[in-house]
Amino acid sequence: MSEPTSANTPKPSSSVKLVLLGEAAVGKSSLVLRFVNNDFQENKEPTIGAAFLTQKCSLPTRTIKFEIWDTAGQERFASLAPMYYRNAQAALVVYDVTKPSSLTKAKHWVAELQRQASPGIVIALVGNKLDLTNDASNEAAGEPTSTEGGEDEATNDAGDENQAEEATPGDARKVSTQEANAYAEEESLLFFETSAKTGVNVADVFTAIANAIPESSLKTGRGAGTGQTTFGGGRPAEDTRVNLGERATATPKEGCAC
Amino acid sequence: MESLAETPWDVTISGTGLGQSLLALALSRSDKKVLHIDKCPYYGGSEAAFSLQEAQEWADNVNKEPGQSPFEDAEVHSPSDSRLSSSRAYTLSLSPHLIYSRSRLLPTLLSSKVYRQLEFQAVGSWWIFGPSEANSNLYRVPSSREDIFADDFISAKSKRTLMKFLRHIGKPPRETEGQSEEEDLSVPFSEYLSSKFQVPAELHDPLLSLSLSQASAQQTSAEYAVPRIKRHLASIGVFGPGFGSLLAKWGGGSELAQVGCRALAVGGGVYVLNAGIESIASPSNSENGDDARMQIKLSNGESIRTKFVVGSHWDLPGQAGNDQPSCEKAARSISVVSSSLESLFPITAEGGPLPAGAVVVFPGSSLGQAEDSPPVYLLIHSSETGECPTGQSVIYGSVRLSGPQGYSLLETAIQKLLESVGDAEAKVLWSLRYTQLGRVGDVIDAAQALKSSSPSESMICFPPLSLDHAFDDALLDMVKEAWKIVQGEEAIDEEFMKFEDREGVEDE
Repeated sequence: MSEPTSANTPKPSSSVKLVLLGEAAVGKSSLVLRFVNNDFQENKEPTIGAAFLTQKCSLPTRTIKFEIWDTAGQERFASLAPMYYRNAQAALVVYDVTKPSSLTKAKHWVAELQRQASPGIVIALVGNKLDLTNDASNEAAGEPTSTEGGEDEATNDAGDENQAEEATPGDARKVSTQEANAYAEEESLLFFETSAKTGVNVADVFTAIANAIPESSLKTGRGAGTGQTTFGGGRPAEDTRVNLGERATATPKEGCAC
Repeated sequence: MESLAETPWDVTISGTGLGQSLLALALSRSDKKVLHIDKCPYYGGSEAAFSLQEAQEWADNVNKEPGQSPFEDAEVHSPSDSRLSSSRAYTLSLSPHLIYSRSRLLPTLLSSKVYRQLEFQAVGSWWIFGPSEANSNLYRVPSSREDIFADDFISAKSKRTLMKFLRHIGKPPRETEGQSEEEDLSVPFSEYLSSKFQVPAELHDPLLSLSLSQASAQQTSAEYAVPRIKRHLASIGVFGPGFGSLLAKWGGGSELAQVGCRALAVGGGVYVLNAGIESIASPSNSENGDDARMQIKLSNGESIRTKFVVGSHWDLPGQAGNDQPSCEKAARSISVVSSSLESLFPITAEGGPLPAGAVVVFPGSSLGQAEDSPPVYLLIHSSETGECPTGQSVIYGSVRLSGPQGYSLLETAIQKLLESVGDAEAKVLWSLRYTQLGRVGDVIDAAQALKSSSPSESMICFPPLSLDHAFDDALLDMVKEAWKIVQGEEAIDEEFMKFEDREGVEDE
């Protein structure tokens, strides 16, 4: 790619379609609310209908604009999911660390995504409601444990050892970090434990996803040197998007052809 | 949330095709309780988009259950070729329509705010396959004054006649009205061009291609062709230089349908796939007035009650009283090709976007057929559309001739195209052919068309979709009519599809 190099060139910006999946009441909408508005609502009503939100995530080399699709409220029919994960570049599969059945459901979603979604989809497994566990006060347990290679995983082993199966009193945790992490590793998923309530790790999930999206799925261009005739000279080859919003400034001429 | 059976539904939309999904969008901000179902496990109905495997399953179903969809006689041909990628690397569309920049669909997508979820790309060049003149049989149809000046194929004399014709039809309607009273548009397009403008015969087919007419110049009336050529010319430059029509990335009509459904889901509509309508029973006599609801039995065993039901002929059960609508047939094909066919997608004007679509027209005569036999249209989508891997492209073929003759013309046209693009490696890696049923000709009165195809006031049935290659604006009119019926007194014409942005969606 021969990107025009100018000191003042803004960082390239790409849209990433992200779908949220998971059992009802695991906190999908709350995670998004925390990420987008840095807000949390106690005893939030189940979402009526689905939701669509956007949020930018700034990386050192580029800006990712997440288009977040929340299937909330309609998990029962599982009918929104196929529409949502079609062409999605990322999926956030959420379970509740206090509810083992929600991890089982999450595994079903992961299997379905692997079977049906775009081949390169980045999947993050997220155990939410960390605030209900004893780890809530223990930042170390909430460290991201990415299974994608090349990341710093130094803290993980020690952290995992602490997640004994025996829960201490007052700890509502029913799904151990170790179990979920092992599963995530097996399936090559990103893995985080979060609390939408306290905000622990929430932004990290989205940043990790943004980093994990392969460059190739952000740029669908033909690449350089394919003999493309260009009139503009030096314009990026991937520029195929037509902006409808520019209509007003496009100064259409009536019967402009002649 | 109440169960499906307990909810007193206002509207049940059956099928997630383009018409139903646009209605879903229209109702997405109403306070109606809407249930949106589809008998298929996927969205999009007859405008769906498929992976290779899904396309194979779809073809099997079309043949297994004739009469259940506006399709017949589907067949996948998959010669084993290692260059074919995995099934899900493809999104092959049953509705690769192009959308003219002047189509009312685009302002509708803008005012309803869903355009942000769509990505549009330019359809650049129109090519016509002509009798062999030079090394290439493909001739780029000039569609602007600049194009005509730059053209070195047309003689100076022909250029003058062509300019005269284009100037004539490029005039704003008001200016021409006085003269046009004498203009006889009922004659064949070829005669109109020769007698009125002395446009030489070799330019008839190129001009006709701009109308997307699926009949020959002799068989197309000027009445049909002229307004469509006007549409083509008036659309150029609206959204950028050098192009006048668009395609929706990731599967055309399928994406539009899904965007409509998502909007309604966000608005509280409930979606259930794999659930078709088995039977409809009228409201019992004891129920009267506003609460009267018909009883609908779904194929998933559930039973629901609804005031209105909306669908197409193929989404409502036979006993609803709507007979098989009268349809025309077209042979269609989808071919995955092992070449980017790059030469078909030049940037057509300085500063214009890289086109992702192109149109190639084969007049009947170029395929060894009679002069007045119908042309073959090939809509070519580059890998930029996200429909196939880089280095490949997808060819959507169509000819208004059903049966083996239609299929064989499509095949010949594709072979000729591949031979002429100068890529020796260009081969068809995978193809699907099928016959599509649909409407031909224009809907003049949408309200009337919808009424006559609907079994009753509360059972609304969309007429079959147009077989046109461009999005048919009449569909929007019919959606609006359906919306008006459902909204009843609450319907305010000016509010159709006009929405504010939802919270959490920032402006660009």
